[in-house]
Amino acid sequence: MTTLSTQVLIIGGGATGLGVAWDACLRSLQVTLVEQGDLGQGTSGRYHGLLHSGARYAISDPASAVDCRRENRILRGIARHTIEPTGGLFLSTPHDPPEYPDRWLAACRAAGVPALEIAAAAALQREPLLTPRLARAFEVDDAALDSFELLHAMARGVVDCGGSVLLRQRLVGLVSRPEGMLARIVSLTDGSVIQIEAAVVVNAAGPYAGSIAAMAGAHLPLALGKGTMVAMASRLTHTVLNRCKPPHDGDIIVPVGTVCILGTTDTPVVSPADLAIEPWEVNLLLAEGQAMIPSLRRHRALRAWAGIRALHRPAAGASETRSLPRSHALIDHRVEDEVPGLVSIIGGKLTTYRKMAEDVVDLVQGRLGGGRPCSTQHTPLPLQSARFYSVGERLRSSPDRAVSEADPILCECEMISRSSLSQAIRASGSADLDDARRDLRLGMGPCQGAFCAYRAAALVAAILPSAPADGGLAGFARERWRGLVPLAWGRGLRQLDLLRRVQLELLGAEAGGDDR
Amino acid sequence: MSDSVIVVGAGLAGLTAALLARSRGLEVRIIAEGRGSLSLSHGCVDVWRDGPLSGAAGDLSPHHPLRRAGSAGMQAALDEFLTLIHAAGLPYHAATASPLRLPTATGSIHQTTAAPFSLANGSLDETGPIHIGRIPEIRDFSAGLVASGLRSRGVANVAVVDLPLPPAAAGRDASPQRIASRLDRPSVREALCRDWAPRLRGVRRLGLPALLGLAQPAAVLADLEARLGISLFEIPTLPPSLPGLRLEQSLRRLCTARGIQIVEGPSVRGEVDGRSAGRRASGVVAATAGGPRRFLADSIVLATGGALNGGWLGFASGEVQDSVFGLPLDAPADREQWVTIDPFEPQAFARFGLRVDSRQRPIDPRGRVYFENLFAAGGILAGADRTREGSRQGIDLASAYLAARGIAG
Repeated sequence: MTTLSTQVLIIGGGATGLGVAWDACLRSLQVTLVEQGDLGQGTSGRYHGLLHSGARYAISDPASAVDCRRENRILRGIARHTIEPTGGLFLSTPHDPPEYPDRWLAACRAAGVPALEIAAAAALQREPLLTPRLARAFEVDDAALDSFELLHAMARGVVDCGGSVLLRQRLVGLVSRPEGMLARIVSLTDGSVIQIEAAVVVNAAGPYAGSIAAMAGAHLPLALGKGTMVAMASRLTHTVLNRCKPPHDGDIIVPVGTVCILGTTDTPVVSPADLAIEPWEVNLLLAEGQAMIPSLRRHRALRAWAGIRALHRPAAGASETRSLPRSHALIDHRVEDEVPGLVSIIGGKLTTYRKMAEDVVDLVQGRLGGGRPCSTQHTPLPLQSARFYSVGERLRSSPDRAVSEADPILCECEMISRSSLSQAIRASGSADLDDARRDLRLGMGPCQGAFCAYRAAALVAAILPSAPADGGLAGFARERWRGLVPLAWGRGLRQLDLLRRVQLELLGAEAGGDDR
Repeated sequence: MSDSVIVVGAGLAGLTAALLARSRGLEVRIIAEGRGSLSLSHGCVDVWRDGPLSGAAGDLSPHHPLRRAGSAGMQAALDEFLTLIHAAGLPYHAATASPLRLPTATGSIHQTTAAPFSLANGSLDETGPIHIGRIPEIRDFSAGLVASGLRSRGVANVAVVDLPLPPAAAGRDASPQRIASRLDRPSVREALCRDWAPRLRGVRRLGLPALLGLAQPAAVLADLEARLGISLFEIPTLPPSLPGLRLEQSLRRLCTARGIQIVEGPSVRGEVDGRSAGRRASGVVAATAGGPRRFLADSIVLATGGALNGGWLGFASGEVQDSVFGLPLDAPADREQWVTIDPFEPQAFARFGLRVDSRQRPIDPRGRVYFENLFAAGGILAGADRTREGSRQGIDLASAYLAARGIAG
């Protein structure tokens, strides 16, 4: 069996884990990161896309508000290409408590979070679909953050610094020894097993962090909460919209690419696999969204999905996870469980991932003996491509002219050309079209893969000898279908029927077509 | 004056019902909001995927649309369709004992009952080597997937041959539909054959994405086969699918030639005849650009299609209604039961629709007709998961046939 050794082993390829890896690399630590799926396949990728200004937490959690305000500015400096500066609005509608805005505004001032009242008419001019019955409107520094871009940029940075990022590898054993930690890792692609020796293991596995800690004999009680989001098929707003009321289910709408996302609900769940979406969640998100955009129901809901947020729950009691502090918990298992080589980082939000990573690496570095200060706050992340939405912009900026017979567009909704898709397939070596989706947004637009999936599957089959006979078409059809199921009425149901008729009847996709 | 019929919907069921009613001496008008979904169709007639209907008809639930037709009714409907489509200049080949086995764009095997000759030529029951043409300009068809899929299903002797399009055929926009139109011109076919002939040495049977002509596909196929000296067949591509478009155009031309007016664009609402105490429908009100317009008729056929086509609407509240008369459909009020998590599994929503009596008239849960002169055909009928069963066109034709007979009395 191969045995590798590293100073810091990080479990989890989400924003937290990659943030820790990147921070540690910049402090010259040797790092290896292990992720059981693809980058951002867990909570970080199942997120609404909001870079918080802090205003959301001004009353409920002022410390988080301060963190968000500071991190928001830092991320705009170091990861500009992942952030679309949409700005944000807080809207007080007739459905919201009329006394709340003044209290909230005072709390924003106290936390140093900029919030500027504008005339309701000015808000309507900026976003014409808003309800004309706006009571008050405030501008804040919200933005849309592409978490997939952010994660890829950090992974690239880690690899460029000599660190390792191992994808589709699952931790199956973790032992604490006097000289450090020993981890057993199984490859989910070919079943091979390796061992990794590490001085310190950072457990950043989100909802799986409890079971990771348990492998090493440590105790890490978690509260898991499921958050459901709905993507609308069009970009109904160009500004992040927030309800100006106490934080609750369904109070934000975030423009992301060609769509906009309604978020989120919060339901306690038992397992990270509890991702099933219930009709009441979708109904609630649409109803709440309608308070800000009355015509919402006339637009097509494209897709629903859920992510699991994990929070540290030191004392027993199954309370709603929204009322637990969102700020993160850093647990040193040397103190708690006499496992000196294990550190767990739990909770937090995407906006503050960098600060969480800084705290983790401060602790780890203390353990390893070293005194370099954190430098992630002023080190720009490696630049990937930026793909923000404006009509015509993507056509203009496309290096391969969009309408070219030599390099046709394969996914019209997301403007993905054949050359960029083959590049992504070659780079990842993965025959899974869902990985191409996370890389390029393949099949994430209005057709949900009904048309582009076949073209993409053909390309996968042509490039990779390991591809299944149908190029992965059946698996991708299943995956896209899953997110349409919670929205299966009205036009959503028509879309489902279209997907099924095109792929099964016309193209002859078969259930076992992607067996290898 | 002869009796008049309004057919709502211009898909395969609507066009066929209109033509069959016309051939029974009725005055027919079609009103259609959209164009149906023939552009998504492979153009074949699927009656029952697993084999002849006679074997399955007895096992079908009493409300399955094909159960009502029976295998004799199905055969009669198919015969009338074949006569119509032949008259329209698009001859079909019908399987006799066992189904036709044709390649799909993913290299799976499509079992069907009748197909236009250009597709039927691809029957996998014929032996001998097959080549699949790889046309790099076309993104909606992959020769590689066809060949590897067929091989993995035990079809031996499949190879791929590279066939770039000459500029005359490719033009500036290499979509199958545009190329098909170009190939309607003899000069383009001549250029294509000059270019391809040297690449086709040793090829005897060649499969191509469906693009061999749009207006006169039979003539285009015969001409290309003669010029190249090989046997050609087509495989349907991503929508717009040429074999489906040809079927639509042929049937529409025939409608026009036989005096059936097609009113396109308006959505329609059913109108109940107050003088008959609500027993009859008097016609439909169409939302035209010039305002609402009434079309009165002695009989009305709903050929409005299924979920995709908007023949019925499923609301967030859990209600499901036909979209013209607002007739309630039999569906679970709990939306979670409408769809399962895997598209390859049976889907409850696919079976939603109207139940009908022996004359194809919609009936309520107690078996009473809603209106004595209202008929239904095609995708709006309840009781069949057409995608899974491979029964879509069989249901369209059989129910159109029964509706036309039901109207003629």
